[in-house]
Amino acid sequence: MNEILGIVIAAFISWFNFVLIDTWMGLPEAPGVKGADVIGRSVKARGGDLAGGFFQGNIVCSPDASAGTLLASIACYAIGTPEGGLIAAVLVYFGNRLCADPGYAGTTGALSITIIIFLTSFIGFKPEYFIVGMVLAILTIQGLYHPWASRLLGKIAHKMGRHTKLT
Amino acid sequence: MIIHANVFSYLIALAAAVILSLILRLPLLPEKPMRQSWTISAVFPTAVLAVGFYAMVYKLGYQGYIVALITGIITALFSKFILEKVVPVPESEESNE
Repeated sequence: MNEILGIVIAAFISWFNFVLIDTWMGLPEAPGVKGADVIGRSVKARGGDLAGGFFQGNIVCSPDASAGTLLASIACYAIGTPEGGLIAAVLVYFGNRLCADPGYAGTTGALSITIIIFLTSFIGFKPEYFIVGMVLAILTIQGLYHPWASRLLGKIAHKMGRHTKLT
Repeated sequence: MIIHANVFSYLIALAAAVILSLILRLPLLPEKPMRQSWTISAVFPTAVLAVGFYAMVYKLGYQGYIVALITGIITALFSKFILEKVVPVPESEESNE
């Protein structure tokens, strides 16, 4: 498979993997720690959405599905599929618990991307495509413009019934 | 597709961990809403830890059904007796419960 095309497709897959799992696990509903609350309210003050801001704050403050996706991709590249992904899930779980988070989003994200990497390997995808793809995916959420990204995340949270009740 | 023999090792580790943790009276699933629950249960995180630990042991060169069984048993004991001490629930969560 063409490398550039593979990375672009992997970026889309990674984006949906972590955004859907994190939203489903309730990241936009409430800040897990004080830092996530500060980030969420700062994003809202700059014209963003509060639920999207909490989502962005939560993925900064603890390893959620975004970190799970990236770490599992790296581990599959370094150790092999699926062992690397399974080891990454354990490490993400401990990382989550250390960051005052029960750990569902991170481990689910790591396990789901391991399955995706395993399945897509049959059509020529390599784990390194998902490493670069995930870096690009997280760039669209955290690196370009927070208010726009938070409004998009807020809309997704609203559709999935996970929008915050806080004001 | 040929199922690799290693798949059975993972299943043995998983089954051993889940069955022993149920015997040790861990709940099968966390209470609802699960995404906010800190309860250690047989499925999460014990089963996830069991396959992860077996993957570590496997990559270190120790393989086979017996190793998988022992890994599952140790994981269940770890989840029941040690996990809460290694990574405790944050105090703010404890006060909310």
